[in-house]
Amino acid sequence: MLRAIVLHSDDNVATLIDPGRAAIPVKLTGEASGEIELTDDIPFGHKCAIRAIAKGAEILKYGQVIGRATAPIRVGDHVHIHNVEALRGRGDIEEGR
Amino acid sequence: MHTFIGYERADGSVGTRNVVAIASVMDNSNPVARAVAGAVSGTVLLPGLYLRGQIGRDREITLNAMAGLCLNPNIAGVVAIGLEPITTGELSERISSSGKPVESLNIQMAGGTINAIAEGTRLAARMVREVSRIRPREFPISKLMVGVECGGSDTTSGLSSNPAVGVVADRIVAAGGTVIISETSEFFGAEHLFAQRARDPAVKEQFLQRVAALEKEIKAQGIDLRGSNPSQDNIRGGLTTIEEKALGAMAKAGKSPLVGVLGYGERPREPGLHFMAAPAPAVENLTALAAAGCQICVFSTGIGNPIGHPVSTIVKVTGNRNTAETFADNIDFEVTGILERNERIEDAGGRLFEYVLSVASGELTSSEILDVRETMISRFGTSM
Repeated sequence: MLRAIVLHSDDNVATLIDPGRAAIPVKLTGEASGEIELTDDIPFGHKCAIRAIAKGAEILKYGQVIGRATAPIRVGDHVHIHNVEALRGRGDIEEGR
Repeated sequence: MHTFIGYERADGSVGTRNVVAIASVMDNSNPVARAVAGAVSGTVLLPGLYLRGQIGRDREITLNAMAGLCLNPNIAGVVAIGLEPITTGELSERISSSGKPVESLNIQMAGGTINAIAEGTRLAARMVREVSRIRPREFPISKLMVGVECGGSDTTSGLSSNPAVGVVADRIVAAGGTVIISETSEFFGAEHLFAQRARDPAVKEQFLQRVAALEKEIKAQGIDLRGSNPSQDNIRGGLTTIEEKALGAMAKAGKSPLVGVLGYGERPREPGLHFMAAPAPAVENLTALAAAGCQICVFSTGIGNPIGHPVSTIVKVTGNRNTAETFADNIDFEVTGILERNERIEDAGGRLFEYVLSVASGELTSSEILDVRETMISRFGTSM
């Protein structure tokens, strides 16, 4: 069975540790359990949502904020640069601490 | 209670190895030091880099880092080999104040290369015999200082080996030991998250200043690191944001509070998790960690990095199944179970912790056995 690892119990994304296929169930390992179904093919090492994430909501990995959703994200969606923006290291927003 | 078997030093620190350092005070003394280290077993060579012509802060860092390497608890005694007595004295005084045995030799005084090699060989041979009489005994983990570092990182690093190293870091700190994470540039983008772990506002400010100072220095060279981070390679591999990339590297430090911020090669003054501002490349970084006093560094690698250090024992850890097979000669411990067999990170980290204690008690690692070891003190200025 295809697998995705969850690194912290608060996370809303998992990382594929096998190449993911659309509509094929993925087993969650690490700090979560259960299964999800991918909405698309997702490469090894990329992330999928394990919870629905509203536009503007935080993306959590390692239990920490790695970015913000720029579009609504469904369970099983590929989570990457097309629907996530960094909050740091950008020239167009003021850097805060 | 966990313990390890080590060698007690005059300053109360405990070595996990028991070797004599042949320290070359400056680059022009390296050939004699190399010959002496080659002639006497139980020694490690610490070549000198420059020193002559170095000025100000850069010179201080070089001298202090070399003294730090000699003061590392793994070093039982030091033979300092220089050209002339004044500079050699600057190094040997920094070492002898700790009570560690130091012998000095100067090539000008010894009467040239051949005589210096003969004299140095006798000094080293005598010291090796003396330190071999030290009997190792049991010590608590509070006597351990462990560096955490990564090199040759890939997707598996942030998912398995770095978090497993983080478990080791937390256990060392919980037992009253000291852990140092370094590689300043790897914090870019997530320094605000790591800063939240600082014990107090002063430590937080020191940490943020160190990161900002490096970024400013790099920007002054016309390079914008944030703009190209994560790299196209990283993005193809699945890393989405700079925060995510930095968090993967920071996972090596576990979850303990940050209690101190150190300069290059600087020794911590108390136990707990420290950050050291030092360059990320493996040899420079391991040298800085060894100079701070780390007896062991736990080195996480994805695609494989073989290098060790003559003073600090390096433990190479991978979570990448391919690397564990194809790079096996240089890998000491694999945590591939996390990605291959659904092993919990906590359990893999626990196994790694037990292994690190075995190494602390004398089990040799690949870079020691194959002698793939290198030392290199970073430069921070111009020579005169």
